[in-house]
Amino acid sequence: MQRFLTASAMSLTLASAAGAAPFSWAGTTDPQTMDPHAVNSAPVLGFLNNVYEGLVRRGKDMAIEPALATSWEPIQSDGGGWRFTLRRGVTFHGGEDFTAEDVVFSYERAASPEADTASWFAGVTDVIAVNDYTVDILTAAPNPIFPDSIANWMIMDAGWAAANGAERPAKDAENFATLNANGTAAFQLSERQPGLKTVLTPFDGWWGEAEHNITTATFTPIQNPATAVAALLSGDVDMINPVPIQDAARLDGRDGVEVIRGIEARVIMLGMAQGADLLKYGANEGDANPFTNVKVRQAVAHAVNVPAILQTIMRGSAEPASQLVSPAMRGYVPALSARPEYDPAKARDLLRSAGYPDGFGFGLKCPNDRYLNDEAVCQAVVSMLAQVGLDAELDAMPVRNYWPELREDNFDMYLLGWSPGTFDHEHPIRFLLATPNPEKKLGSWNFGDYSNARIDTLLPLIQSEVDDSKRQALMTEAVGIYQSEQAYVPLYVQPLVWGARDNITLTQRPDNFFILRWVTVK
Amino acid sequence: MLDLASPAPHDPRMISFILRRVFQSILVLLIVGLVAFSMFTFVGDPIDNMLGQERTDADIARLRAQLGLDQPFPVQYFRFLENAVQGNFGISYRQGRPVADILLERAPATLELAFVSGFLAIFFGIVLGVFTALRRGTVAANAVMTISLIGVSLPTFLIGILLIYVFSVELDLLPSFGRGDTVNLGWWSTGFLTWSGLKALILPSITLGLYQMTLIMRLVRTEMLEVLRQDYIRFARARGLRDRAIHFRHALKNTLVPVITVTGLQLGSIIAFAIITETVFQWPGVGLLFINAIQFVDIPVMAAYLMLISVMFVAINLIVDLLYFAIDPRLRT
Amino acid sequence: MTEMPVDRPDVIPPSRLRRAWDSDFAWSFRHSPVAMVSAFFTALLVLSAVFAPLLATTNPYDPASLNLMNGFTAPGTPNAFTGESFLMGTDDQGRDVFSTILYGMRISLFVGFAAVLLAMLIGVTLGLVAGYRGGWVETLIMRTADVQLTFPAILVAMLIFGIAKGVTPVEYRDQMAIWVLILAIGLSDWVQFARVVRGATLVERKKEYVQAAQLIGRSGFAITFRHILPNVLSPVLVIATISLALAIIAEATLSFLGVGAPPTQPSLGTLIRIGQGFLFSGEWWILFFPAVTLLVLALSVNLLGDWLRDALNPRMR
Repeated sequence: MQRFLTASAMSLTLASAAGAAPFSWAGTTDPQTMDPHAVNSAPVLGFLNNVYEGLVRRGKDMAIEPALATSWEPIQSDGGGWRFTLRRGVTFHGGEDFTAEDVVFSYERAASPEADTASWFAGVTDVIAVNDYTVDILTAAPNPIFPDSIANWMIMDAGWAAANGAERPAKDAENFATLNANGTAAFQLSERQPGLKTVLTPFDGWWGEAEHNITTATFTPIQNPATAVAALLSGDVDMINPVPIQDAARLDGRDGVEVIRGIEARVIMLGMAQGADLLKYGANEGDANPFTNVKVRQAVAHAVNVPAILQTIMRGSAEPASQLVSPAMRGYVPALSARPEYDPAKARDLLRSAGYPDGFGFGLKCPNDRYLNDEAVCQAVVSMLAQVGLDAELDAMPVRNYWPELREDNFDMYLLGWSPGTFDHEHPIRFLLATPNPEKKLGSWNFGDYSNARIDTLLPLIQSEVDDSKRQALMTEAVGIYQSEQAYVPLYVQPLVWGARDNITLTQRPDNFFILRWVTVK
Repeated sequence: MLDLASPAPHDPRMISFILRRVFQSILVLLIVGLVAFSMFTFVGDPIDNMLGQERTDADIARLRAQLGLDQPFPVQYFRFLENAVQGNFGISYRQGRPVADILLERAPATLELAFVSGFLAIFFGIVLGVFTALRRGTVAANAVMTISLIGVSLPTFLIGILLIYVFSVELDLLPSFGRGDTVNLGWWSTGFLTWSGLKALILPSITLGLYQMTLIMRLVRTEMLEVLRQDYIRFARARGLRDRAIHFRHALKNTLVPVITVTGLQLGSIIAFAIITETVFQWPGVGLLFINAIQFVDIPVMAAYLMLISVMFVAINLIVDLLYFAIDPRLRT
Repeated sequence: MTEMPVDRPDVIPPSRLRRAWDSDFAWSFRHSPVAMVSAFFTALLVLSAVFAPLLATTNPYDPASLNLMNGFTAPGTPNAFTGESFLMGTDDQGRDVFSTILYGMRISLFVGFAAVLLAMLIGVTLGLVAGYRGGWVETLIMRTADVQLTFPAILVAMLIFGIAKGVTPVEYRDQMAIWVLILAIGLSDWVQFARVVRGATLVERKKEYVQAAQLIGRSGFAITFRHILPNVLSPVLVIATISLALAIIAEATLSFLGVGAPPTQPSLGTLIRIGQGFLFSGEWWILFFPAVTLLVLALSVNLLGDWLRDALNPRMR
C-alpha cells in the first residue's frame, strides 16, 4: 500500500512536470483589492478564492464541501449556532500555522464596520475558540443555511495581519493587505500590479492535492471585450471571461479556441414602481401610477416576448426565468416554473380591463454597462411594450449613475439583475420583496416598494426553518404570492460565456468564479 | 533646423513675460481644479462601487461621511488642494493605494506612447507636408493627401479596432493589447528595451498619431504653399539661390509659426486622445486609469489626473508662447 | 452652379466672394474632378439625409414598428423567421440598416454643422479680439482657452451632459441629447480657431496695412473684421474643413464612450458603436454600412474643403 502510494504520487508528479505550463487569462475587471474583507464584489471574491480559503468552500457543482473546516454541526442550545472542527496541519503561504485564533480574528475583521462583508454575520452573536481546532459560531436564532452563507468568508492569519498593521480593512488609507495576500489556498500571490497584471504561483505547502498543472498564472484585465476576443484569438491569453455573447458562435468556428457556456446565477427582471402615487416620466408624467394595478403588471409580463429576446439578442444562450432565482439555486420551486406566455392580445385585454384601453406613457431606466447586452434588451422591451400601447421612454445610463437614480426612486420601470450571494431563494426575498425597513436591513434593493404582509411574515419563518421540506413549503407559498402579484417580471437567467484556447481544460461554476486549481494545460 | 540663439535670452521683457505666465498658469490650475471638482458631482456616485450588494442605507451614509463626500464641493476642493500642495493626492477609492504612486506607475506608459506618436506625427507630418507642397498636383502628392484623409475620416476607436482586427487577429503579426515586456529603470518602466515592448508600441502609436500627423501635414503644406508665393521667396529665386536652400532655409522656417502653435496644441491633445487609444489597446497608461476612474467614480484619481494633465498643458502652452516670442522678432517690438 | 457648397458666407468677405463666384471659382470647380466628385457625394448624402422620411423603407424611430425577430438579417437575404428581406440587412433590434443610416445621417450632419458653426463663431471672434486688443483681454481669453483645452472633449461633454440633465425637464431629454452634443463638440472645438486666429492676427497686426488703417482713424471693430479677418481666413478654413468631419467623428467617439445620441434614435456614430460590437461575430453589415457612409461623408467634406481652400485663396493659383 505504502509502495503503491509512492508510485502513484511519483507518476502524478512526473505527469504534471511533463505537462506543466504557464497560464494566462483576462477578464473585464481587475480585482480592485487583495483584501478579502474590504470589498464584497464578485471579481474580488472570485479571484481571491484562489489565494484565500474559507472554513467551507463550493465544489464544481456549487455544493458546500469541507475546506479549512473538516466537519460542522448545529449546536443544540438556546438561540442557535454551529460548531466547526478545523483542519490540522494547514499552513499559510508565509509559513504560519492555521488555528482557531485565526478564525476568531478573521470573524472580527470581516464583521467589523470597516469591512464590506459585515452583513454575512448579521445574525452572529459570538465566535468562540473552544480549543485550537474547534470553533463555535453562535447565532441569535437557528440559521440552517449559515454554512452555505460563509463560503466566501476567507481566513487571514492573525499574526501576519497584526505584524503588518492590517488588522482592519481600510477604505480611506493604504493598507498592507490591499496589495499583499497571505492565504492558505493552492495559489499564492507573487506579483501584484493593480490594473495591469497579477501573477499567482502554486503553493507547495497546500494541504490539498493539486488537480492543475499550472506553473504560473497571470491575470490581465482587458476592459474592451473586442480587445479581449482579439487577445484570445491571437493566443496572447489562454482564457477570457466573458466572451461577448454575439462573438461566441464565431469563436466556436475558429480553430484553436473553444467557447464554454453555462448559466449564471443572475436573473434579469423588470421592476416597477408600486409605492409611487404618480408616474414620473413620459407622456403621462404626473398622472396616477398604473403600475400599482396588478393587471397592468401582468400586461407587461405578457407583452414582453422573452423567447424572441433569447433567440436574437442573447443568441440562444440564456434560459427564460419564472422566479427570482435560477433552477440551480436552493429553494427554487420546480412546480412553479411556468412564466407568463408572450401574448400581446391578452396584454391589451388586461390593460383594457385595468382602465387603460389606449395604454399610457412612462419612463424605463436601464443600465448600459452592467449586464450582458442590457441596453439592447431594454430597447427590445421598449418596442415590444409599444406594440400593446405602452409607450416607454428609455433612459439608459452607466451603472455609476444608475444605482443613485434607483435609490432616489427616479423611475417608473427599471431593469435589475439579481444574483443571490447565498445561492438561496431566501436572499432575493429578503432584498427584493420584503417591505423596505432600514433598521431591520430588509428590502434594501426593493426600489419599487413592493409590499405584501404575508411575504413579510414568511421571511423570518423561512430564515429559521431547519426542516428542509417545511422550508420548501414556505418557499412555495412565497413564490406563489410574488408570481400571482407579478411583483417583478423575471425575464431570463443570464448566460455565462467563457472562451479558452483548446489546450485548456477548466471548470465553469455558475457563480462565475474561475477556480485555477481545476485548470489543466495540455 | 531652428536658429533659436538670435533673441537675447536675458531680455528683461522675456523675464517679466515668463513671470507673468507662471503666475497665470497657477491661476489656471486652480480654476481647473475647481471646475473638475464641480464636475465630479455629475459623473456619478462612488459609493455603490465601494460597497457590495448587501450594503444598507446606514453603510452608505457612514462611508459618505468617512470620505468627506457629504461636504459641499468647495469644501472638498479646498481639502484636496490642502493635501495636494503637500504632495498628497489622497487614496484611490478603488485601489486603496496612494494616487501619487498609481500615477507614477502609469505615467511612463502614456509618456512613451505619446512620445512615439508625437514623434511620428511631427516627423511624417513635416516630411509629407513639405513633399505635398513642393510636388503639388502630382499623382504621388494627391495620393498622400487622399490617403491621409481616409485616416482622419474614421473615428480613432474604429481605426484602432480595425488595426487590431487586421494585424493581430487576421495576420497575427503584432500584439493586440498591452505594452509587452517592460524593463524597470528605477521607477520608470520602459517598453523601449524589449522586442515585445517595441512591437506593442506600433499599433497604438499609429492609431494615436495618425490624426495629428494629418493635421500637421496639411498645415505645413498650406503654410508652405503660402510662403512659397511670398515676395521674398521670389526675390530669393531671382537672386539665384538654389531650390533646396530656398525651401529649407527660407520657406520651411517661415511656415513654422502656425505649425508650432498647432503642434504644441496637438501634443497636448495626444495626451487627451490617448484616453481612447489606451482604452482600445488596453494600454496601461494614465488615460486608461482615468477611464477606469470615471467608471468607478474614483474621485481622487480623477482629480489628480486632471491636475496632472493641466500642468502638462500649461507647460506646453508656456513653451509655445516662448517659442513664438523667439521665432518672430516682430512680436517683441 | 447654384448648389455651390459655400456654406460659410458669414466669414467670407463679400468682395472676394463675389469675385470668386463670378469667374475663377467656377472655373476652378469645373476643372477639378476631385471637387466635382466630392461635391456630388456631399450633395447626395446631405439630400438623402434631408429627405430620409421619403427614401427610407421603415421608420427606425418608431419602436412599435420593429420586430425583434428580424434582428441580424443579412443584406439581401430573407430572414429565417419572418421571411422579410432588407437591402443592407438589419441590426440587433431588427431595424433596417439602410433606413437607420438615412435617419442617423440627419442627426450626424445636423450636429456636425451646428457644432462647427458654434465653434467658429466663438473661436474666430475671440481669437481676433485677443490678437488685436492684446492686454488683459487677450490674457483672459487665452487663459480660458488653456483651461478649456486642458479638459478632454469627452469630459467637457460629460460635464455639459450632467448639468443639462440636472436642469432639463425629463420629457425633453431625448431631444436634449442632440443639443448637448452640439454644445459639447462646439465648445471643445472653439479653442483651435481662437489659437490659430490669434496667432495669425498677432502677425497681421504688425503689418503696414493695419497700421495705415489705424492712422486714418478706422475703428478697432472695423479693422479687425474688415482687414484682419480676411487675411487670417486661410488657416481658419483648414481648421474648419477638418472640424466639420471631426465634429461628425467626435460625435461617434462620444457615442463610443456612452454620452452620444440615444440608441433609440441613433446617429451615424451610435450606429458605428453598436456595429463595432459585431465585428468579430460575422454581422459585418451592422458596422460596415454606417462606417462606409461616415467615411464617404467625412472624406467628401474634407476633399471639398481642400479644394475650397485653394479656390478661395487667389495666391494659391
